[in-house]
Amino acid sequence: MTTARPQLPPEFVAAHKRRRMVDAMAELCAEQGYEATKIADVVRTAHVARKTLYDNFSGKEELFLAAFDTTVADGDAAVAEACESLGDDTWEERAEAVLRALLEFVAAHPAQARLCLVEAPAAGATSAARYDAAVETYIEHLRRAAPPGGGRPATLEEALVGGTLWVVQRQVRNGGAEEALDLLPELLEFVISPYRGVGKR
Amino acid sequence: MDRLPRGRHGLSPEFVARNQRQRLISALILTLADVGYQKTTVSMIGRRAAVSKSDFYKHFESKDECFLAAYDHAIDRLRGAVIEACAKVDGEAWPARVRAGIVALLGLLSAEPALAAILLAEGLRAGRGIYDRYQAAVESFVPLLRRGAPEPPGGGEVPPATDEAVVGGIASLLSRRAIAGEAAGLAALTPDVLEFALTPHLGTEAARRIISAG
Repeated sequence: MTTARPQLPPEFVAAHKRRRMVDAMAELCAEQGYEATKIADVVRTAHVARKTLYDNFSGKEELFLAAFDTTVADGDAAVAEACESLGDDTWEERAEAVLRALLEFVAAHPAQARLCLVEAPAAGATSAARYDAAVETYIEHLRRAAPPGGGRPATLEEALVGGTLWVVQRQVRNGGAEEALDLLPELLEFVISPYRGVGKR
Repeated sequence: MDRLPRGRHGLSPEFVARNQRQRLISALILTLADVGYQKTTVSMIGRRAAVSKSDFYKHFESKDECFLAAYDHAIDRLRGAVIEACAKVDGEAWPARVRAGIVALLGLLSAEPALAAILLAEGLRAGRGIYDRYQAAVESFVPLLRRGAPEPPGGGEVPPATDEAVVGGIASLLSRRAIAGEAAGLAALTPDVLEFALTPHLGTEAARRIISAG
């Protein structure tokens, strides 16, 4: 009797291969940058046939964008999960939960974080636009979550999200993704302090 | 920058070369703002600068090399304007210096949207090398903000990454506006940006008092 491989559903195999290619893209970008990464490298790292790659993606850029989208979706899911466990917490506690989930995600996925935060803004017009769109959704989230109160600059949330991402990308770019959680106290203070009066500290 | 007179003008060759190079850089910045990075060609730059194609290649090996020179030139101008504005009020308190710097920063970008386009919008689409220059340029503004900054009202120190976040946040905001084609309106954001920059060190209330006092 031949020892047949266990039969896995074809959709499972296909999804698994897709995931391997996306992960390989992130790992290769982390090592050598987007511009230097070649399709041949991805095929070798992901252990897939060249044809499989082109069956799934039109080329390097589409694969890169898929890696970006997958990571953003995974990060959003991690944040959503953190928010689910919250009850009647204050806005500051919610902000901390979101920020902690994001930083933990970065620490757990350094290559993917690098792809999204360091490579994506500089990897061509389509990728940059995709990055800008993701930033836009974070700004919308913060606007909705922020406590009511007048007198604040209309641009505050744009500057806060931009500043937070700037500091996190800097940490990742400098090879400190695993220690991203160290930034939590400082970034939390940065984000919530504009929403409270000085006297109420 | 104007063309030099034709014919015999008695100007030194070094002067002529420097003038040509400067004209090419200015022409690239203007062309980029009009048609974007991809569509900008060496011919277009040369035509705008009134410099022949062969003279272009005496100064730069390629469009990309001209672009890098133009990017560095644009950064130097912007940073130079900010440093000069801060120096003029050197004897005054920290908020006055921050205000002077931000007014100069937003004033220059509003007055010259082409400068905003190369530094913050279209220029950033030109690949990794330029993006790294952009990031280094943004970071170079952090010591300018930090110099002489007071401790926050609650005591203790403003942690180091906070000034990075402030500068990065301002850059991100300005970039978003420039990408949206709204660079000419950046000066109107002066109160917003000033409050954002002052708040970590002074607290919201004191920052707003200073801003409304003008």
